[in-house]
Amino acid sequence: MADAAPRFEEALAELEGLVQRLEKGELPLEESLVAFERGVNLVRLLTQRLADVEQRVEVLLKTEAGKLIRRPLEDEEQ
Amino acid sequence: MLRAGRAPRVLSVTELALMLRSALETGVGTVWVGGEISNLKRPASGHLYFTLKDKQTQLAAVMFRSAAQVLVFQPTDGMDVVVRARADVYPARGSLQLYVEAMEPRGLGALTLAYEQLKAKLLAEGLFADERKRPLPRWPRAVGIVTALHGAAIHDIRTVLRRRWPAATVVVRPVRVQGRGAASEIAAGIADLNRLADVDVLIVGRGGGSLEDLWAFNEEVVAQAIAASTVPVVSAVGHEVDITIADFVADARAPTPTAAASLVVPDAAEVADGVARADAALRRALARRVSTARERLVALDRRLGDPARRVRDLTLRVDELGSRAHRAVARRLAWDGRELAALGARLERAGPIARLASARGQLEAAAGRLRFAAAMRVRHTRAALERTAAQLDALSPLACLERGYAIVRRGDAAGAVVTDAAVLRPGDAVALVFARSRARARVEDTEG
Repeated sequence: MADAAPRFEEALAELEGLVQRLEKGELPLEESLVAFERGVNLVRLLTQRLADVEQRVEVLLKTEAGKLIRRPLEDEEQ
Repeated sequence: MLRAGRAPRVLSVTELALMLRSALETGVGTVWVGGEISNLKRPASGHLYFTLKDKQTQLAAVMFRSAAQVLVFQPTDGMDVVVRARADVYPARGSLQLYVEAMEPRGLGALTLAYEQLKAKLLAEGLFADERKRPLPRWPRAVGIVTALHGAAIHDIRTVLRRRWPAATVVVRPVRVQGRGAASEIAAGIADLNRLADVDVLIVGRGGGSLEDLWAFNEEVVAQAIAASTVPVVSAVGHEVDITIADFVADARAPTPTAAASLVVPDAAEVADGVARADAALRRALARRVSTARERLVALDRRLGDPARRVRDLTLRVDELGSRAHRAVARRLAWDGRELAALGARLERAGPIARLASARGQLEAAAGRLRFAAAMRVRHTRAALERTAAQLDALSPLACLERGYAIVRRGDAAGAVVTDAAVLRPGDAVALVFARSRARARVEDTEG
């Protein structure tokens, strides 16, 4: 996921905020449309992320030299 | 007193001491002995020096560091203990001493005692305080796990994390979770993940086991590592009902590794539901917003009204205003006209023409009065004449006729006036003369 894309929780918080503001009905119509469009994009983004993600598992191992390194876990499970 | 003869063998002090030592070794050997600890000293060397006593007797005792450091509990003065020890003479001082190899608290087990001791100590230090507990992150991007690499615990945790929230990266720091050195490894693992892995939350734990199996999680080094962690820690030790020291210190406690995994990450299915609900709410809200806007538009349109009618209304209004203006001007002009006329009149009255006219008027008035006076005189004269005539008239016989008398004439109206009936015969014709008319009559009879 690109760095420019908002983090999941930020995107979700933004979405919740947009819904609340829209539900209050205080936004001018023009801004309502912008908020709605943004919200729908966020929904798409969030749904996609929820669907796409594969879990990444790493191990923090101590080398012989005593240094700690991160290694992807070679998965013996399934 | 020395006797003569075979001289007794004289021992050196050292010899005797060694003999005693040997006698103790063979005669007493290693024994288990129970007593109360008193006068406990713990110098920097790490050895423990104390007196083991009962009601009657006391014996000096030492427990070397190698033995003392594996004690899970802290011996204290007054503690009733059972020790495994051998009795020996300390040659330098020639004193009898117990060399303690192992120690158990009497009554409860050593582990139980150690547990209670550490719990009391850490409680006093405030490590269990609620205000120390940090909230778990709602959306952890990376979850650190300190546990055995191959075991039920790691499997369970990974399964749950993958199912609930695959977005979180998992960083495992493999450690031994039981046996000697396990506690230090666990503590080091917690510190390593804090230092290196950039994780948002830690799970520290293992599957279930006996009190001995879980012991590492009751050791102070682990408790202190958890307390020192900058990342919130969830403890997940076993399926047992017992609560470990680690559980008390941790920011959250889960009864099993599975439960710990559920605790640290949200459920993607629930989040997806939430997103779907937000989506629906978004659409509803927009639809509502558009429809309110439309309603307002309609309302405003209605208020705006038909422009043609508006023009008619305005025309009427303009006409009305126009006529009012006209009337106002006309009134004003009329007023001015009257003013002008009045002024003119006043001017005329004040000018020479006016004076001439006034003089003429006076003249005419005077002439008028003269004429009037003359006329009045004539009328008076005539009235007097008429009055005289009337008086004259009243004296005439005709005036009697006016009052109802009639004149009887013989024959016709030209005949002689009859003043006595004796001149008349029945059957004579007479004329009755009234004031303004006459009648013809015949005499029927006469008397007198």
